[in-house]
Amino acid sequence: MNTLFLIMVFAYLLGALMALVSGRGVGGRSLTGGAAAVGAASGLVLGLWVLLSGVPYSLYWPNLLPVGGGLALYLDSLGAFFLVVIGVGAIPAAIYGISYTAVYDKGPVSLRLLGVMLNLFLLSMSLVTLADNIFTFLIMWEGMSLTSYFLVMTESEHRETTEAGLWYIAMTHVGLALLLAAFLLLAGDTSGAFADLRANAALLSPTMRGLVFVLAFLGFGSKAGIIPLHVWLPRAHPAAPSHVSALMSGVMIKLGIYGLLRMALDLLGGGPAWWGVLVLAVGAVSALVGILYALMESDLKRLLAYSSVENIGIILLGIGAGLLLHTYGLMAPAMLGFVGGLFHTLNHASFKSLLFLGSGSVLHAVHTRNMEAMGGLIKRMPQTAFFFLIGAVAISALPPLNGFASEWLVFQALLGGANIPNPEVAVAMPVGVAMLALTSGLAAAGFVKAFGITFLAIPRSTEAEQAHESPLAMQIGMGSLAVVCVALGLGAAAVVPVIGRALVGLGGLPQTAPAFQLTLETPDSFGQISPAALGVILLVVLGLIMLGLRLIRANRPVRVSDSWGCGRIEQTPRMEYTATAFAEPLRRVFAELYRPTRELTIDFHPESKYFVQSIQYKSEITPWFERSLYEPLLRLIKGVAYRLRGLQSGSLHLYLLYLALTLLILLFATRWF
Amino acid sequence: MNDTLFAQLSTLGASLVLLFGIILLWRRSLMAYVRAFQQQSAVLAALFVVVGYFGQAPELYVVAVILFALKVILIPRLLHRMQNQVGIGYEATPYLNVASSVIVAGLLVLLAYVLTRPVVLTSTLPTRGGLPLAVGLIFVGLFVIITRKKALAQVVGFLVLENGIALLAVLGTFGIPLIVELGVFLDLLMGFLVMQVFIYHIQDTFESLDVDRLSELKY
Repeated sequence: MNTLFLIMVFAYLLGALMALVSGRGVGGRSLTGGAAAVGAASGLVLGLWVLLSGVPYSLYWPNLLPVGGGLALYLDSLGAFFLVVIGVGAIPAAIYGISYTAVYDKGPVSLRLLGVMLNLFLLSMSLVTLADNIFTFLIMWEGMSLTSYFLVMTESEHRETTEAGLWYIAMTHVGLALLLAAFLLLAGDTSGAFADLRANAALLSPTMRGLVFVLAFLGFGSKAGIIPLHVWLPRAHPAAPSHVSALMSGVMIKLGIYGLLRMALDLLGGGPAWWGVLVLAVGAVSALVGILYALMESDLKRLLAYSSVENIGIILLGIGAGLLLHTYGLMAPAMLGFVGGLFHTLNHASFKSLLFLGSGSVLHAVHTRNMEAMGGLIKRMPQTAFFFLIGAVAISALPPLNGFASEWLVFQALLGGANIPNPEVAVAMPVGVAMLALTSGLAAAGFVKAFGITFLAIPRSTEAEQAHESPLAMQIGMGSLAVVCVALGLGAAAVVPVIGRALVGLGGLPQTAPAFQLTLETPDSFGQISPAALGVILLVVLGLIMLGLRLIRANRPVRVSDSWGCGRIEQTPRMEYTATAFAEPLRRVFAELYRPTRELTIDFHPESKYFVQSIQYKSEITPWFERSLYEPLLRLIKGVAYRLRGLQSGSLHLYLLYLALTLLILLFATRWF
Repeated sequence: MNDTLFAQLSTLGASLVLLFGIILLWRRSLMAYVRAFQQQSAVLAALFVVVGYFGQAPELYVVAVILFALKVILIPRLLHRMQNQVGIGYEATPYLNVASSVIVAGLLVLLAYVLTRPVVLTSTLPTRGGLPLAVGLIFVGLFVIITRKKALAQVVGFLVLENGIALLAVLGTFGIPLIVELGVFLDLLMGFLVMQVFIYHIQDTFESLDVDRLSELKY
């Protein structure tokens, strides 16, 4: 295991060095991306090893940076699971990046910086899962945030990108401040090693534990993208290069989930019912509002980013259900909730990475993220379209793919809430079920839109018409993730017990992992399901339908021509269904949330009102999270900062006077207080 | 007998060191500043020898020699050379006039007595009488840096402040470990060289050594 760990660390470091030496050209990009892929692969193997064998890996260097207890690494099953998630997302993304970054060979973007930061980002992300004291954890956490900030800022010549970077770095540091407070409150005057935190948590008063939990939930939530702390996701994810978006959206935000589980379940060892209810409520709101905003987007990558908010919501629904059931000692259904959350984490890492890589291919070919300028790409980029379709089906939770399996588990856990003795608490669970059901339906609609508008019908712009398939490395990246999506779906029954091992023994959960079965079974027999069997049935049905069609068609001539255009002679892209039009019914149904503004200008012919020269229709939804939450806050901060500016007169003597006065005041304070 | 002599000598030395610090406040020529610093450092070196002798700390002799070489010979010489290059200056308009400055210095020394009182009361060191004077000197050095406009005056103020710290260290502990002392000297020299570079740059940019002109950089 030691070797694997060292290979991982040194591969990443070597990759960073390679990028520094020669970032440009095929060779440089291959070395950088290849090293990152090797690092991620050894991380994946290390994680699987620990997960399957149950033997933790540890490495302590107390003398390295001895301030906060030094570097302490300890990989238990929970960390190992997330290391696997990182590997699943990072290997394809690194390979994909080799070709994708070719556009930066010329131009203002520094490939060196990109390569160095990518490798360091992956390294710090991997080490977050291994951290075993506050110091190591926060250093790696901050390293992950800073390197990803640089990755977001890759195309910093665009104003939009710098704005996104500012939002991201501000939100991530607010999160870090909250985490720091949570950890320091939890540590008290112990050394800061996680083992000490565990012991200390039992001694804290309930109020203090609650405070630590809320701070940690908000801190990790800001990284995971829970509503209302999600504002940076739809800005930063589209701004970054697509393989980085895949890593951030697919992998990095999951470490927020890791942190939450580590804190709530492992360090604090579970808590009162309101913890679970809080997580459940935030999860439900994030899931629903996230997908509703995703539906309104016509920017492909922003749509995907909002959908990440939705999926984090689904994961939190599972974890919230788990925490709630854990409070009442219902360990078996609680396990189900946690496993559902973790499985969805892994699944989202695979299909969201796949979708981001797919959108990157489209962006690579069409040079725009605006879906209104796409269309007809299925003919021009068949591979990308196929992979994107698999991702879209998986994220819409259709059987037999992986999204279905994990959402099914979350449903089962929520239904298990009927076992909770307190009815006033138990009622939260059916509400969660309803929200999740609505979310799943809307998600399917959203991805029908994403796939349909982007890939089907005829091209809406000349760029889309001239689109070309992406190079091999990018196809390998997408293809491997598509395989993972299918495998995780069909093999769900085999995968779930392994994920269960990530949780054994944490916070009093049962010591034994669920056994291997051909079917997914829930403990209190709410239901059982076998995705593999479902897959086989679906294939058989599909085969039968095709066979039937062939039999019907057998004796009839086939004519290939344009589809019926209401009698028009020529069909133009302007007759097509647009992304906005697709979402219009939902915009009306949920008008309360969107508060859409409409602006219609019609230019009539001067002679007659019946002849229209041009019509302009503009409709925007009101971003009221920004407007009602962040704008007042920003105004307040600006106001305070403006007043504080008076302190900075620019006079050196005044600054020196501040120093001297501070010294005197401190001396007096120590003398008399 | 020995202890009484030691106490008297150390208090006398500390008073002299403080006195040279206060000279900075009522002289205006930068030449006088440098000379005051030179004399102060000489007294300080002598005090190191005294403490080394009575406190049985022979390594203090080494420190005294280095201190003498650095602060009495090398740095004043560098300061003189700097003056030759940027022109001999006068601290014509400090933020506080001489009379008020001396009064404030007196108040600062008083304040130092108040602040160090608990330490002096509980201490059994024969040198305890000098501790408030050392703290007072630190305050006076800070005060010089704050109220003087010429960059060179500020450098001397910093050096005086550093002398105050050295005085406090030697009176309070009878000599910190030699390696630390050497580190401090190296630090001082480096700090001084950096400041020298800055002074030349300030002179080049503003054709004046008035530090308050630096606030023009803000706009």
